[in-house]
Amino acid sequence: MSYEEWYRQDRLPHIYCAGCGNGTIINCTLAALEQMAWKKEDTVFVSGIGCSSRAPGYIVTDSLHTTHGRAIAFATGVKLANPDLHVVVITGDGDLAAIGGNHFIHACRRNIDLTVVCMNNQIYGMTGGQGSPTTPLGCLSTTTPYGCVETPFDLCDLAIAAGANYVSRWTSYHVKELEKAVLAGLQTPGFSFIEALVQCPTAFGRRNKFKQVADQVEYLRSHSMLKAKRDRLLEQGEHIPGDMFVVGELERRNRPALGVKR
Amino acid sequence: MKLAIDETRCKGCNLCTKVCPYKIFKEGKKANRKGIIIPELDRPERCTNCRLMHLYGRTLCGVCQLTCPDQAIHWVEELPYEPKKVAIEY
Repeated sequence: MSYEEWYRQDRLPHIYCAGCGNGTIINCTLAALEQMAWKKEDTVFVSGIGCSSRAPGYIVTDSLHTTHGRAIAFATGVKLANPDLHVVVITGDGDLAAIGGNHFIHACRRNIDLTVVCMNNQIYGMTGGQGSPTTPLGCLSTTTPYGCVETPFDLCDLAIAAGANYVSRWTSYHVKELEKAVLAGLQTPGFSFIEALVQCPTAFGRRNKFKQVADQVEYLRSHSMLKAKRDRLLEQGEHIPGDMFVVGELERRNRPALGVKR
Repeated sequence: MKLAIDETRCKGCNLCTKVCPYKIFKEGKKANRKGIIIPELDRPERCTNCRLMHLYGRTLCGVCQLTCPDQAIHWVEELPYEPKKVAIEY
């Protein structure tokens, strides 16, 4: 009936800060899983290190909490050893883009039948707010005290270029859309990548003029642009502001996949 | 069905006050035993899901439950013959 039975009730409440968006993304992921009618014994959650990667500890299925950045590498092993299992990787931006970047692009290239949900909070939250590869230009963090000068990674473009079968991006404000995107990712054979931008009030919002949690959620809402609108603006040759990010289903294709259930 | 906030889980982020289309959640005033100010329910009988969940057999809106980062919002069955208010929409 409800996705709440996928939670380990004895482990809740979780350790995330008040207002952290990671809990929202777990809700959406589990709500999508609930619609797939998979058995809990056949589902495996894999995660690396970071705030987001504590999520499988609160989920009742079997899970692997692995070394930093190697979540996809472990998930590849699980999936290829037993293709009957359904493997979902929950990971963060520091885990996936920084230290696990090579595993990520090669998993996209091999097109393994995984679903990767990346909670992108644009900072290393757990270790105290260091700048990550996805920290936007000009944002403050403990390692970029005068504003970030490096161009951030666009993880969705990276996944599309490397060959993932399904790529979409939503935020923690768009809960229903995110649930549908995760559901589509779970149904797609092959590598499906869902990037979810989340608010981080403790490490990111505190230093970047988002005093309240709702301020950052409002920022995510107002600075997201649907892919259809982006395409329309490009067609008309109009200017797209630099701080907007594209949300929506960015790619869906049928490349041959590895490790699909027999 | 009626809305309920789990006081042992809520951390007082007030995100539910932003997302409900009926503005059922409003910011609370008194801190509880843990020092967390838990949102209050403003006429919760207006909630769509409370009224129509059994009729449709599925969760109708559920945005507050999906958004709540602490899994504190849920719906509980009323006790038999429990007095309840009825929402009147014009």
